[in-house]
Amino acid sequence: MSPLPVSVVTGFLGSGKTTLLSRLLRDPAAARTAVIVNEFGEVGLDHLLVEASDEEVVLLEGGCLCCKVRGDLVRTAGHLLARRARGAAAFDRIVIETTGLADPAPILQALMTDREIADALRLESVIATVDCAAGDATLDAHPESVKQAALADRIVLTKADLADPAQSGLAERVRRINPSAPQLTALHGAVDASRLFGGAPYDRPLYNHGSHAESGVTSFCLRRSAPLHAVTLSLFLQLVAEHCGARLLRLKGLVDVVESPGRPAVIHGVQHVFHPPAWLEAWPDDDRTTRIVVISQELDAEWLQDLLEALDDEVKACSIS
Amino acid sequence: MSRHKTARVARVLSGALRVWGVSASVERDPERPAGFVLRTQSGIRMQVAPAASRGWLVWREGRSLGVHNGLPGLLRSLRQELAPEAATGRLIIGSQSLL
Repeated sequence: MSPLPVSVVTGFLGSGKTTLLSRLLRDPAAARTAVIVNEFGEVGLDHLLVEASDEEVVLLEGGCLCCKVRGDLVRTAGHLLARRARGAAAFDRIVIETTGLADPAPILQALMTDREIADALRLESVIATVDCAAGDATLDAHPESVKQAALADRIVLTKADLADPAQSGLAERVRRINPSAPQLTALHGAVDASRLFGGAPYDRPLYNHGSHAESGVTSFCLRRSAPLHAVTLSLFLQLVAEHCGARLLRLKGLVDVVESPGRPAVIHGVQHVFHPPAWLEAWPDDDRTTRIVVISQELDAEWLQDLLEALDDEVKACSIS
Repeated sequence: MSRHKTARVARVLSGALRVWGVSASVERDPERPAGFVLRTQSGIRMQVAPAASRGWLVWREGRSLGVHNGLPGLLRSLRQELAPEAATGRLIIGSQSLL
C-alpha cells in the first residue's frame, strides 16, 4: 500500500488556519481528509470550528504540538491509521493543523523519523497561512511567523477580502522570505484544494534566487553544474548537520551524482533530520544542474558553496590518488 | 594545492569560525606553503597545513594536535579547540520515504 500524504498547516495565531481548513473540508477535491488539530490552551475550541465528521477530526489537547505533544501526534496518527485499516475511518490524506505558536520543524522531524508511522505516511507539504490584514505587523513583531513562512512549500495569503496583498506589498515581502513557495490567495478562507495539495518535493521550482534575510531567516540556492560524488554529498550533509545545527531550518534539492548519471538524487532535510535520499528515474525538467535550496537562520550562502566545492576537491583527490 | 583551492579552504575556515561565533582572523602561514594561521581575539593561535600525502596537520600554540584525513576532521578539531561550547548536531536519516 502506498504511503498516505500528510500536509502540515502552520501559520501565526489568528492567521486563518482553522477557517482555511473548515472551507477546505467542504471542497470535493479535499474529500476523504482526516484532520489532526492541535490547540494551545486548556480548552480546545478550534476543532469545533472545523466542519467534518467527528471521527475524522482529532484534537490534541494540553500543549503545543512542537514541544509537548510530539508523542501524542505519533500515537494519534497511528490510531487513525489503525482505524482506517479496520475500515472504521475512510480517508486518503491527513492534514495536521499546528498551533499558531508552533515551530513546525519538530513536527516534520517526528513524521520523518518515527518508525511506527514512517512507512505508512509521506510528508507531502507544509502550508503556511499569512494574514493579509495583519501579516506585515505579525512578520515585524514575531520571528516565529517568518520562520513558518520560510519553511513552507505553499503559502496561503488569507483574508484577502480585507486587504489586497499585492497592493500592500505583503505578497512581495513573503515572496522574498520564501521565493520557492507558490502563493495562493484565500477569500473568506476559500482556496482551490487541488492547488494546495499534491505534488512532490522536487516538482516545485527551485529558483536561482538571491539571498534574502528577514528576522535572521535567509533563503538561497546553491548551484553546481558538474556532478557531485556521492561521498561529497554525504560528507556535506554530515557537516551541515554537525556544525549548523538548528540554524539550518530546511534543505531540499536535486543533486546530480557522479555515480548515478541521468538519475538525480532528491534530498530533503529539516534541521539535522533528513529523509533517505530518493532517486528519480530522470530529471524532471531541462535543467540538469544540482540545485540545493537552503532556508536557514543566518547561514552564509558563499560559505556553504565553498564548503561543498572544497569537500569535492578532497574527494576527487582521493579518487585520483 | 592550487592558489584557488587554498583560498577556498581559507574561506571555509573563516566561515566556520563565524558559524561557531568565534572572532578570529585566518591568514596565510608564512612558514608553511598552503598553510594558515588562525588568531582568535582571545589570543589563541592555531596553525593548519596540508599534510604531505593527504589530510591536514593542526597545531595549537606550536604544539601538534595531530593529522586529520579531511576537512570534516579538521573542522571538528578546530571547533573543539576554539568553540567547545558551540552547538553541534548529528545527521539523522529518517525512516520515511521521500517519494
